[in-house]
Amino acid sequence: MTTETQKPQRVDGTLTSIGQKKPRIDGTLKLTGGADYAADRNLPNQTWGYPVSSTIAKGRLVALELDEALAMPGVLDIFHHDNFDKLSRSPNDFAAANKVGELRLPFEDNEIYYHGQYIALVVADTFEHARAAARKVRAQYEKSDDQLTDILALDSGQGDLPGEDVPGDASSRGDADSAFESASIQLDQRYSIAHENHSVMEMHASVAQWENDMLTVYESSQGVVFQRNALAKIFGIPQEKVTVISHFIGSGFGSKLFMWPHAVMTSVAARRLGRPVKTVVPRELEYLNTGYRPTSLQRVRLGADDSGKLLSIHHDGCNETSPAGLHDDSVNGATPSMYACDNVAVTNRLVTVNKGTPTSMRAPGEASGAFALETALDELAVKLDMDPLALRHKNFADRDPAADLPWSSNHLKECWDNAAQRFGWNKRNPTPGAMKDGDEIIGYGMATQSWEAMRQHCSARFGFRDDGTLLVACGTQDIGTGTYTIVAQTASEMTGVPIEMIDVRLGDSSLPSGPLSGGSFATATVLPAVSAAMKEALAELKTLATAEGGVFENVDQDSITLRDGRLVSGDNSIEIAELLRQNRIGLVDGEASTKPGDEQDQYSFRSFGAVFVEVRWDPGISRLRVARICSTIDIGRAINPLTATNQVEGSIVMGMGMGLFEQIEYDAHGYPYNNSLADYIVPVNADMPQIEVELLDYPDYLRNEFGARGVGEIGLTGVAAAISNAVYNATGKRIRDMPISIEKLLAS
Amino acid sequence: MVSIQYSSPASPVGHADPGTAAPARTAGQTAAGSAAAPGRQRITLKVNGTEHTLDVEPNVILLDALREILGLHGTKKGCDHGQCGACTVHINGRSMNSCLLLAVMQQNVEITTIEGLAQSAGFEQGQHPVQQAFLEHDAYQCGYCTAGQMMTAAAVINEGNVEGDDVSLREAMSGNICRCGAYKNILEAVQSARARMTGEG
Amino acid sequence: MRGFEFEQADDVQQAINRHGSSDALIAGGTTLLDLVKLDVMQPEKVVDVSRLPLKRIETLEDGRLKVGALVSNTELAKHEIVMRDYPVLSEALLSGASTGLRNMASTGGNVMQRTRCPYFRDPAMPCNKREPGTGCSAIEGINRNHAVLGTSEHCIATHPSDMCVGMVAAGATVVVEGSQGVREIPFEEYHLLPGETPEQEHDLLAGELITHVILDPPRGGGQSYLKLRDRASYEFALASCAAIVNLEGDRISEARVAMGGVATKPWRATAAEEALKGQPATRETFERAAEAVMQDAVAYSHNGYKITLGKQAIVRALRDATAAARA
Repeated sequence: MTTETQKPQRVDGTLTSIGQKKPRIDGTLKLTGGADYAADRNLPNQTWGYPVSSTIAKGRLVALELDEALAMPGVLDIFHHDNFDKLSRSPNDFAAANKVGELRLPFEDNEIYYHGQYIALVVADTFEHARAAARKVRAQYEKSDDQLTDILALDSGQGDLPGEDVPGDASSRGDADSAFESASIQLDQRYSIAHENHSVMEMHASVAQWENDMLTVYESSQGVVFQRNALAKIFGIPQEKVTVISHFIGSGFGSKLFMWPHAVMTSVAARRLGRPVKTVVPRELEYLNTGYRPTSLQRVRLGADDSGKLLSIHHDGCNETSPAGLHDDSVNGATPSMYACDNVAVTNRLVTVNKGTPTSMRAPGEASGAFALETALDELAVKLDMDPLALRHKNFADRDPAADLPWSSNHLKECWDNAAQRFGWNKRNPTPGAMKDGDEIIGYGMATQSWEAMRQHCSARFGFRDDGTLLVACGTQDIGTGTYTIVAQTASEMTGVPIEMIDVRLGDSSLPSGPLSGGSFATATVLPAVSAAMKEALAELKTLATAEGGVFENVDQDSITLRDGRLVSGDNSIEIAELLRQNRIGLVDGEASTKPGDEQDQYSFRSFGAVFVEVRWDPGISRLRVARICSTIDIGRAINPLTATNQVEGSIVMGMGMGLFEQIEYDAHGYPYNNSLADYIVPVNADMPQIEVELLDYPDYLRNEFGARGVGEIGLTGVAAAISNAVYNATGKRIRDMPISIEKLLAS
Repeated sequence: MVSIQYSSPASPVGHADPGTAAPARTAGQTAAGSAAAPGRQRITLKVNGTEHTLDVEPNVILLDALREILGLHGTKKGCDHGQCGACTVHINGRSMNSCLLLAVMQQNVEITTIEGLAQSAGFEQGQHPVQQAFLEHDAYQCGYCTAGQMMTAAAVINEGNVEGDDVSLREAMSGNICRCGAYKNILEAVQSARARMTGEG
Repeated sequence: MRGFEFEQADDVQQAINRHGSSDALIAGGTTLLDLVKLDVMQPEKVVDVSRLPLKRIETLEDGRLKVGALVSNTELAKHEIVMRDYPVLSEALLSGASTGLRNMASTGGNVMQRTRCPYFRDPAMPCNKREPGTGCSAIEGINRNHAVLGTSEHCIATHPSDMCVGMVAAGATVVVEGSQGVREIPFEEYHLLPGETPEQEHDLLAGELITHVILDPPRGGGQSYLKLRDRASYEFALASCAAIVNLEGDRISEARVAMGGVATKPWRATAAEEALKGQPATRETFERAAEAVMQDAVAYSHNGYKITLGKQAIVRALRDATAAARA
């Protein structure tokens, strides 16, 4: 592959920081309580907001009785649809970086679209007073009884999926229908993923303050620039008058990519009261008002010949969306790229339900789609009496069949074989229930993992200071992935300045515009901008050094290099800090913007991996446990293998949740049954299997000069399928609806 | 400059903006000599070795008193209902969920938060072995549940009434949910800290 | 969470005198403050009983073990006598909640634990237990976590405690004290079936408080507590079983079986005990015992699986207790 011969455009030839396992530079802050998350912010004269939400799923808010609440101690005001400011909706445009989580504004009218929808915000002098008064707000509703919250109930079980077709999502190549009809081996099955919630540990929070006509919002956000832009549009003020700050985020997984209504109502309350307002979304409303992975129903049809060669793939998807805002999860977006097959057709449909707006949740779409496709392949392997790994090898796509382009870098075969070897796949007995250990029956399963390797536009600033430290700034965020640290590693690598001397600033919309922390594109996007900004600053330094009377007067600037924090030319060198001090300059900095180039049209960029799972099923007590998970992933170069491996391990844990536990349930009245951290089951430490992750190290220099593709999502894909496939191997039961709960195992 | 996390790279500080640490609810802390306002009680909380006198209404929860009145933000609120463990503190050395403790009931006890963990164990300078181990093993991602994880771990190791095998420690740590899923590294860090603190390998 | 008055009681008499019918006692606070925050409980006054001198564990002359109501779940579970003589109780305690919550929760408070039914926990929803006469949302709604034993047409909520299941198996007496004096209530009679009055959860009169739980003399034999749930820890039981098996040779001379997660109160499975007594300690016997317990079970739309799961819990707990008895 041609990419192997390309060299990184680094100044120095050897890697001393990039690719090294470095402890996080923000670690001490996080470990001592010093890191400032949004709700940690307390401002002088601050007040507290507490929301009141709808207790019906559909209808109209007829009256709000507020007298008792208003008379409660410390209450300052109550905001609702009759007294709320008239605002404009955000254009909700991703390309213009003003997309929001829920398009409908809070208190826009008195229509009720879902249980939990905000109907009022109580503001008081203390948290306790605001909460106590919120409990005294009484609402009268005109209830409609035709609410819908369960799209699976609409499914006839055969033929087309329910919902409205989304023509723009459909794509095809060849003639999938004919190829399927004529295939000797056919599979036609339906799969579903339950409504999942991000369940971030840090509840969404806004602290809003107006100073004159300037709005500052401290927010738990994966996208300060997006939120800044959206608030400016909603309030009809210039972007320069809005600042959004998010230094630390108690995880997001997509639920904090785009702004939710609490930020708008908090900002309005702060303006009306002339005092800062802090609102933390209560945990039970986190599940209803800050997005979720929508329930998806999928139909997969596979046609193959007797050797296992795929002749036809149909993948139809359907996900729920909301009257308050549209979300299309596009569960089959990756399917056309995954395997070599001449005849492929995908379609998507949407069903509007009485719930809040769904949003991206870690590996959005693809995680759901991979479950269906990779489970279907396992079923096909059973029909063929073929090893599931061999079936995948048989259909390896050596270029992207969807875009008809070569891969920038693809080591999927090595991922499959590396993980299989480490796992001990060759010890698998394909007969269900054949592997036993005491009370337990053992099952093995595997799946392919994948995520698109995107890169976006980004700006950054890079500065050299006269005390020898560096300043690197970008309006992106570190949501726990390690962005602070890898930016410092990159700056250290390029300059030779020790990592301890590098001051990284993120999470502030007033910094040069950076990307969302999502989609696994932050690393590939931010580092090139940091590099370009460094070169701008370096050019300034060279000009300074070669100026009349300078240390390199009359030296050709092209001969000057940067090494160990010094400018070097031939046998001469000078410490950069010394150069600045000599010139009485405190800071020399540069700013640059970068974006992907022509390579977008010449290559397909996608990361691949493989995951193998061992489950243990104790039929005597209906207990299913995951015992081992082994994953090998190719993400190009891992800038920091310590944090990157942690990302994959964490994704695997979330994949276990998808496969085994996670499901928000609504009853027939549209009531959310389990919107709490006790009732929405996520994995705990005692659930942990032995997890072994290996990252291959093949830098993808077509993606960027550092060879990095990003790592946040891929580890989650395929995990639920591998679990489900292992469960089949253990039990002979094919569970096609996630999660694999005890009752499903008992019923099938 | 609101964006600074590291005023000097060599010695990171968290609160460059004084607004971060400044308690907003000045009404909560008392002026010496005056009586508590009607409906409030005057209490003394000993937190990290320092006594604080404050006037609170009886329904004020210890977690909120720590965060909103005393400005100790290291202890986190994840659910407010004893369902996640993020708010774990030590009361007389035992780990407890501060979201389910009334502030007025925590007088005459030693309250330790993450800000005082190292000091409480006699590490006046530097960090507690649990903190060191969490750094080295990357036993966190977003860092939000981390204070609670470490407070539970430190108490569990210190009390010594949980067996040191992986299964027992995983069980003992299961009241601290980490949605980032850093459980593997958390266990490694707890084992590493345990070895250091108990002298057992 | 609404405001309330707060008083501290220094002795039992003060606690009795100071709390009226609209007040609440607080010890560990793990149930009360959770429910007050949700507005499910709205006490006018909260009386702090955490300082009462009820923190001892002592062996009585008749061989029973007297446990103060304020002994924490951790202390009780880790007490050497409990670990040695009442392992089923120790295991039950340690399977509940989390390290931090067990450090806070008291013995008396655990007996007084309220159901985890989500409809009970949301004041906006009809619930006969919380607001008599409003109806039961769970019967027509989602009832995956609900009871299959001891239900009524008015309430199908489970009792969530593990400790209580261990105590039912071990045999115990609840000691309460009020203005009328001290009463001793057999543990199994302390919690009430919902029947027509699901709001009446226990046999505690206004003004009374729990001062002790006295465990029966140790039953010896083999003991086991098995808790089945979705995830491996930090979750309430879907089905649990506490089993004590005494053997004479290969036959069961006596057995005690109690269940959690499947019933509206900590469930003494007497049908199982009768089916076991005098029988050989075999899988067939255990299965007959399990069938005997569950023959009266009533399933609702989402919890039918608990009938199977409950039987499995019984069979496995009996097997493990038998193995322990032989060890």
